Amino acid sequence: MFVTDIRKDFYEVVANQRVALLVAADIDALCACKILQALFHCDHIQYTLVPVIGWQDLSTAFLEHKEQFRYFVLINCGANVDLLEMLQPDDDSIFFICDTHRPVDVVNVYNDTQIKLLIKQDDDLGVPSYDDIFRDDEEEDDGSGNDSDEGSEPSGKRRRFDEGAIERRIERQRARREWEARRREILFDYEQFEFHGTSAAMMFFELAWVLTKDTKDMLWWAIIGLTDQQIHDKITHMKYVTDVATMQRHVSRHNHRNEDEENSLSIDCMRISFEYDLRLSLYQHWSLYESICNSCYTSSSFKLWTLNGQKKLREFLADMGLPLKQVKQKYTSMDMSIKENLRDVIEESSNKFGMKEIRIQTFGVHFGFQNRFLASDMVHATAALLESTEKEESDIAHNFIKALDSLSRGNLDRLHVGIDHAKRKLLAIQQTVASCICTNLILSQGPFLYCYLMEGTPDVKLFSKPLALTLLCKYLLKAFVHSTRNKRCKLLPLIMAAPKDVEKGTVIVAGIPPESETSDKKNFFGRAFEKAAESTSSRTLHDHFDTSIIELKTEDRSKFLDALITLLS
Amino acid sequence: MLALFQEDGLRQVLQEMEALYEQNQADVNEAKSFGRSDLIPSIKLRHCCLLRNQRCITAYLYDRLLRIRALRWEYGSVLPANVRFHMSAEEVQWFGQYKKSLASFMRSLGEGEGLDITQDIKPPKSLYIQVRCLKDHGEFEIEDGTVILLKKNSQHFLPRWKCEQLIRQGVLEHVVS
Repeated sequence: MFVTDIRKDFYEVVANQRVALLVAADIDALCACKILQALFHCDHIQYTLVPVIGWQDLSTAFLEHKEQFRYFVLINCGANVDLLEMLQPDDDSIFFICDTHRPVDVVNVYNDTQIKLLIKQDDDLGVPSYDDIFRDDEEEDDGSGNDSDEGSEPSGKRRRFDEGAIERRIERQRARREWEARRREILFDYEQFEFHGTSAAMMFFELAWVLTKDTKDMLWWAIIGLTDQQIHDKITHMKYVTDVATMQRHVSRHNHRNEDEENSLSIDCMRISFEYDLRLSLYQHWSLYESICNSCYTSSSFKLWTLNGQKKLREFLADMGLPLKQVKQKYTSMDMSIKENLRDVIEESSNKFGMKEIRIQTFGVHFGFQNRFLASDMVHATAALLESTEKEESDIAHNFIKALDSLSRGNLDRLHVGIDHAKRKLLAIQQTVASCICTNLILSQGPFLYCYLMEGTPDVKLFSKPLALTLLCKYLLKAFVHSTRNKRCKLLPLIMAAPKDVEKGTVIVAGIPPESETSDKKNFFGRAFEKAAESTSSRTLHDHFDTSIIELKTEDRSKFLDALITLLS
Repeated sequence: MLALFQEDGLRQVLQEMEALYEQNQADVNEAKSFGRSDLIPSIKLRHCCLLRNQRCITAYLYDRLLRIRALRWEYGSVLPANVRFHMSAEEVQWFGQYKKSLASFMRSLGEGEGLDITQDIKPPKSLYIQVRCLKDHGEFEIEDGTVILLKKNSQHFLPRWKCEQLIRQGVLEHVVS
């Protein structure tokens, strides 16, 4: 059931209890976890934090901890499957689920005792009504009971009774079949598309606000959670803008208390500000030139993998009057005169070159003289740390802890390491995109586009992780749409496969919806993958919380694809 | 922290000391009865060796006692089996007596109520602390019966006094963020 009063029905329930936190491995979940941890520290609520990366991890963690804990809080996992069926908990275990995955499974919605959903009941949830899905079965039993009595003693009067009873029974059965058919249809429509709802970090920030325990750190984490959804393309642009407006109200509320003429705050205090900043990833920690070359928006608009594109970039820079030498320098060492109206100058020139949305609404933080970060910088850095493939035995829990630490202001060195990893990741993505487009690796299979990264591709290890692979998919699709002339291909979704584990011989397959201005980001690949795997009995592992990302044995790749093509055409 | 008690080595040293002492005895008798003053340097030499051996043995035994005393503060009053295996019988007895005197001292503090001075060795900043598990330690049971599963890389938020032992042993790490 949905929790209406989050303070009374969630926070006060766990106030004197020990809680197990099971947190999924994405940035929004990490931010939500940080906010919740800060609240728990305030009120001395004992907890145990366990990172989980998939359904198997979740089941294992639950089994290990179910003896010791009664209350479980699941962050960004668990809402889109029948949780009670999967975990088989005891009757006194209670689950609080704060998950952005939609659609929420109907069993989770209508269970009154054990599942509490910390989700806003937005209009876009579209949960089917109770009567359409669940129905009491008493009438059927009565009908069959009567049949046996009547069948054993046929006589004159009884025969008339028989006919009436049989008619009624037939009527009942027909009504039931109709109801079941309608139920299947309703459920199919409801569960067909996967999409994402309001950020979990924002939900927990709202809880903190209701408890009046919100701090600037929590606000910053909520902003990072929201930005993560935008960068990894999980929510629509409309929703992002609406949520940014909500966050901006909180930001102005926090800033309002501070700056007087007489007592201005020390420069070391944390200041969050609303920025209408450029869509260039990590530009303040890199050089402007590198950032333009490696950001998705600019590189696909200029088509920087072609010679023509490189020329256009140089024209663009010349148009703005920025000398190449300055632009290739580290941003912090650029001339102050150039940095002053950089954003406006870039916006003006971008409009001339066809990039109307070079600026985007976002937030920035700064504390101390040196430390300025945009929310998108933090997302890229933390995602790079979370999925780092640096050491051979990169334990997911270890990376999770490192990424979680980098979100705290005291661990700036870790954040800078993350920024370095993020730069390498963006470079790798850019090079892979360029090579895929130049060597025409993207094939149109009819209902979708398909691309397979071979084993020897440089940096292919990076793309065995889900977040990195989805980012690559998004950039590749955008670049492809800009580069192809085929009008039909521009509207197709993309499926990408990359080798995941060489010893086990598996690939990771991810599918994203087609690229469009008004995309509603609804992804149907989850169900499609399931059906295709079933029909060809391919050996697949649907372990990830996003159903559109699966693991597949390399040998079954071709038959799986064929099944998908027939399914979707 | 505590190596195996070198029973054999100690015995060898004592045997050596006995041998030296007997030789010295013999030489002293000879020097006294026969007036052989040329034996006196060798007697002196042996005497110095004996004194040095005595110093070494006492230093060894004393160092072990100091380490065993530190074990009480690190592990608590029940030592793990592998540590106890390394101790000689006398050392175990000594440890028992040290425990008793520490306990009676602690009982006498605080006007007869007793105070556990092995807790909170550094002044605590907060009641509850966030700890991270560095290695798999299995299940950890606390006085009131609650059990916590300590798996590598899991984080917990627990009352300070419950974690202190494990932090000292290096199983948990205090996280300050």
